[in-house]
Amino acid sequence: MFVILVYDVNTKRVNKVLKKARKYLNWVQNSVLEGEISEANYRKLKMELQNVINEEEDSCLFYTFRTTKYSQRESLGIKKGGDDVII
Amino acid sequence: MKKIVYIFSDGELKRQDNTLKFYCEETNRYLPVEDISDIFVFGEVNINKKLLELLSQKEIVMHYFNYHGYYMGTFYPREHYNSGYMTLKQAQFYLEHDRRMGIAGAIVRGALKNIRQVLKYYANRGKDLDASLQKLKEFEEQIDGCADISELMAVEGNARECYYRAFDKIIENEDFVFEQRTRRPPRNHLNSLISFGNSVMYTLVLSEIYKTHLDPRIGFLHATNFRRFSLNLDIAELFKPILVDRVIFSLLAKKMVTKQDFESGMEGIVIKDRAKKLFVEELDNKLKTTIKHRDIGREVSYRRLIRLELYKLEKHLMGEKEYEPFVARW
Repeated sequence: MFVILVYDVNTKRVNKVLKKARKYLNWVQNSVLEGEISEANYRKLKMELQNVINEEEDSCLFYTFRTTKYSQRESLGIKKGGDDVII
Repeated sequence: MKKIVYIFSDGELKRQDNTLKFYCEETNRYLPVEDISDIFVFGEVNINKKLLELLSQKEIVMHYFNYHGYYMGTFYPREHYNSGYMTLKQAQFYLEHDRRMGIAGAIVRGALKNIRQVLKYYANRGKDLDASLQKLKEFEEQIDGCADISELMAVEGNARECYYRAFDKIIENEDFVFEQRTRRPPRNHLNSLISFGNSVMYTLVLSEIYKTHLDPRIGFLHATNFRRFSLNLDIAELFKPILVDRVIFSLLAKKMVTKQDFESGMEGIVIKDRAKKLFVEELDNKLKTTIKHRDIGREVSYRRLIRLELYKLEKHLMGEKEYEPFVARW
């Protein structure tokens, strides 16, 4: 499945969340990551984030898609991060 | 399915924050370690043991190629599917002449059928390939008459020769004529494209073998010798025509790769980075393409198809189900 992760957390924990998320997803821009992920890894990621964040102050949002067939991504301005596999 | 990363830039690949990071002049990129299964390294990349540890832990296979695009080696993490049983079975089938011939024959038959399928496509589009197709059919009929592996190899070699000769009629580009198959080093442009494509294909199959219980060192058609992997060469025979050759045809037909993308050096005709990238990109797209699989009744990618082929071989070795090579139907 394809997932978009958006997070808004206290600056103290921004880095922690980012570090965990980068293991599974591609960084797109500040506080946004996306990528293909397996069901199992998706759960792992959620668990890991849950352990890092403070549930009273922080929020993480996941948008999941079964496929990206019916969605489209447009961008304006510079490209910050990406998912190229040919570097 | 986990992704393959291809690195052409020069830089440093590191373990950082428990994931992978690639440092180079243009970009510093994190690569999500959980979503990667293979790394193909074409550029000059520095690595350290910490990285290898992580790759081992995550079962990521890393292949590296030299400046000229030749396969140099693989960081093959410790086997996670360790099965003495399967290794013994493989060795047993290798040692028993009839059984080995059975598998090797099936592979050659599959390879020739796939070759014919590729040619048929172009024959339907008005290329004059009837003679080649007829000849290939004759070669196919010779397979059953082969008494040993070397005869089989000879049939396969002759058939492939005949197939490559048909390339000129398909490509119809005087910059890319076949002449004859030359390797180490390839002496013309088309040959170097074929060589590059084949070496990527061999490595790709090796990666898939790593994810099964099979031992890549024991091949059936290609003799097991003292130095290298051979099972991947066997399985690659089936997929070379439908993946590599088709990519070559489409790159040349669309004029994406031209004569300017090559230079001649000591090592024959060398492909420049731009063309290598294009080739790999096209091949990667092809690998991701899905087709409806008739037996399992759902969509599978070409890359999965390679793995399924290996599973079929495993079943054959275990005596569960006779091995039938994959034959493309389109």
